[in-house]
Amino acid sequence: MSAMDPTEVFRQEAAELFEVLEGALLDLGQRPDDRELVDSAFRALHTIKGSGAMFGFDKVASFTHEFETAFDRVRKGEIKPTQELISVALAAKDYIRALIEDPQSTDDIIGEAILDDLKRFVSADQPAAAVVEIAGAPALVPAESKQAGWHLNLEFESHILRNGSNPLDLLEDLCKLGPCFVVPITDGVPFLDEMEPEDCYLKWDVKLHAACDKDAIDDVFMFVQDEMKLTLSPLEHTEAPAQAPLFQLLDEELAPAAEMPAPAREAAPAPVADQPVAKAEPKSESKPEPKSEGKRDDRGIATVRVQAERLDELMDRVGELVIAQARLTQLAASGSDLSIKMIAEEIERLASSLRDTTMGARMVPIGSLFGRFRRLVHDLSRDLSKPVEFVTSGEDTELDKTMIECLADPLVHLIRNAIDHGIEDTATRTANGKIEQGRIELAAVHSGAQVLVTVKDNGGGLNTARIRAKAEEQGLIAAGAVLTDHEIHQFLFHPGFSTAQTISALSGRGVGMDVVKRTIENMRGTIDLSTRPGQGTTVTLRLPLTLAIIEGLLIRVGEGRYIIPLSAVEECIELTAEDERSRGRNFLNVRGNLVPFLRLREIMAASGTPDRHQKTIIISTGETHVGLVADQIIGNHQTVIKSLSKLHSDVTIFSGATILGDGTAALILDVAQLVALAQSKVEKQHISEAA
Amino acid sequence: MNEGLAGEHQSGAMQVVMIGLGEEKFALDAGLVREIIDPVPVTKVAGARAFVPSVINVRGNVIPLADLRIRFGMPQLDDSADTRIVVIELELDGEPVLVGVTADKVYEVTEISQTDVQQTPRVGMHWKPEFIRFIAKWREEFVIVPNMERILN
Repeated sequence: MSAMDPTEVFRQEAAELFEVLEGALLDLGQRPDDRELVDSAFRALHTIKGSGAMFGFDKVASFTHEFETAFDRVRKGEIKPTQELISVALAAKDYIRALIEDPQSTDDIIGEAILDDLKRFVSADQPAAAVVEIAGAPALVPAESKQAGWHLNLEFESHILRNGSNPLDLLEDLCKLGPCFVVPITDGVPFLDEMEPEDCYLKWDVKLHAACDKDAIDDVFMFVQDEMKLTLSPLEHTEAPAQAPLFQLLDEELAPAAEMPAPAREAAPAPVADQPVAKAEPKSESKPEPKSEGKRDDRGIATVRVQAERLDELMDRVGELVIAQARLTQLAASGSDLSIKMIAEEIERLASSLRDTTMGARMVPIGSLFGRFRRLVHDLSRDLSKPVEFVTSGEDTELDKTMIECLADPLVHLIRNAIDHGIEDTATRTANGKIEQGRIELAAVHSGAQVLVTVKDNGGGLNTARIRAKAEEQGLIAAGAVLTDHEIHQFLFHPGFSTAQTISALSGRGVGMDVVKRTIENMRGTIDLSTRPGQGTTVTLRLPLTLAIIEGLLIRVGEGRYIIPLSAVEECIELTAEDERSRGRNFLNVRGNLVPFLRLREIMAASGTPDRHQKTIIISTGETHVGLVADQIIGNHQTVIKSLSKLHSDVTIFSGATILGDGTAALILDVAQLVALAQSKVEKQHISEAA
Repeated sequence: MNEGLAGEHQSGAMQVVMIGLGEEKFALDAGLVREIIDPVPVTKVAGARAFVPSVINVRGNVIPLADLRIRFGMPQLDDSADTRIVVIELELDGEPVLVGVTADKVYEVTEISQTDVQQTPRVGMHWKPEFIRFIAKWREEFVIVPNMERILN
């Protein structure tokens, strides 16, 4: 259990903060008056600055400081965040990120240029008179001239020391703002034998004689604001320090203002002063919560940062446990010992709940991924001068962590396509009577054991005729072949297929649609397109919840046993004698629908005689149904997925393997591939029938 | 692989696991060998290349089972009491891959010395020369040191 590199911890923390910052900035572009957003952006900046300095990222700290200073005027409501300002702020954020992640690639000149821009935007116009009323702090901000200082009442939570915060340091920071009278309130200190040495029992009463901002005071306590009660009231001129009631009670504490920091330290009793405080721990608890609303309630939910590899290892172990448990269950079922059966059942229950918990631990809300695309849409919409509204929904939908990572690239491509090719330019939109602003919807929703991710645009839709022409030109289909629109659209997934007449800076870069499809299929998902001319295109990704364990249907074909992912199974029916005889046709009549079927015995080259009553398992991907004919349906099987090695990468009809209860390996059928295989057979049949 | 080569340079000798396929003896670089197990039930992979016809379960991992006899055009014998599976670890395209290799018999772990190493003769061989790293002499017998990466790629 080696400790993590503190710099690495900072990097990770910073990465999260950048997401918060970017999200807040982008939101601010849409809701410039939202104080919460400004505050959350500011908090993120402040934390980056603070931790950056702590971990020796001096450049980061100084740049962020400048950024913060400039942005402070926005926070004070002196200027409104304009689109231009947001763009510069985003550039500044990128620069800080570069400073942290790859300092070599950055150039001070760029940083200075960004800062100049920032300063220009925040200082250029708008006189200070345009003060927007600060919603969160009315009445507490009187005109500065009237005010001689602040009266603060500090009450920390008793566990504050354990989190590495030291109230004395905070008091010292406070003293830097101006002369302070600090009086400890010792009411809460218990008798010695009741005293918990790690708890903080003191409260402080502070009179700050400086005409500083309320914000400046808030800044001092920024990191501990969740763990303390701060009562703040302005001091009037008339209220001379000596007349304060508290000071009269504690007259031996009266001392000239300038000397107060020292007495404050001395006044702290032993439990606090002697407490060795672990400083190098800017722990998450003292970090400002990204969601500012309801932050006090969130405190109860403790989170632990775990390395992803450890979770992977845990998943592997659980996988092995599930396999071992399956063997035990099988063994117990074959014997007659009742007590063993009971234990086997008990373990089965435990193993399955352990599996669910472990999988749950790997689940991440997809919102973390969606957040990244807002920037992409923002930039693309600016570069292409197509105003685009970006709407996301279902951010809470959870997916396996590995899948989220795999999804990033395909989604970038789909969104880029939607804006570049899908959404028409403003002139065309207006001409077609559509509203100027395009709209991209990114949504995620649970659907059974699958998650549906859709990218929907309200652009012009696919140009079916052009795709067809292109497919004919490339020799993919014969001219005049009868194809449904859906079939024609599948050519978009063909490698090297592009209908873009001009190659823009955006298309032709990175992955193509064929790569998107392959990536999704590697995750055992499917991709589907639907389009309505003039109204837009929807791309639907269907993904399994996890990559590690699935529910499977165990079947037997000849001697071999195979797994079909249960999510793809529609129904199981018996192959009738009539279907059996129709060797040439390979179509089933399922309640009036013609469904092509594949004989697994032929595909698997099974030896021996087939069972008398062949079973058909109807599987589906999207709208397409295909029957698979097997000898026997054995039953449900908890399938721990093991990938096949490179030596078998040329075998496409299997997506992986698993280990059965008796310790033998069984192969998992790749539903998408089998469906494609069935369809190509159907097409061949069409051609041979036509000939 | 690299471990094995390094061993050669240091001592002039190479640790090998001597296995029998049909009538021939092959020497597998001991650095590649992870374990030797008794035959286990195999699962056929339809559509796979002939020399990797199946997969097996080795300690919870599903690994391919390769048959060198097919690669060398030798007759396949039925499993006997001597049949073993030698699990080796190879780098294929930069990734470590575990592969099981069926052996009709495993003799022993031994050393073949550098001086016994002979260049592959160009003639008189019915095997593809690229499958063979070199031929060595062991107890007055010629043994083949196969190039496993090439055979399995």
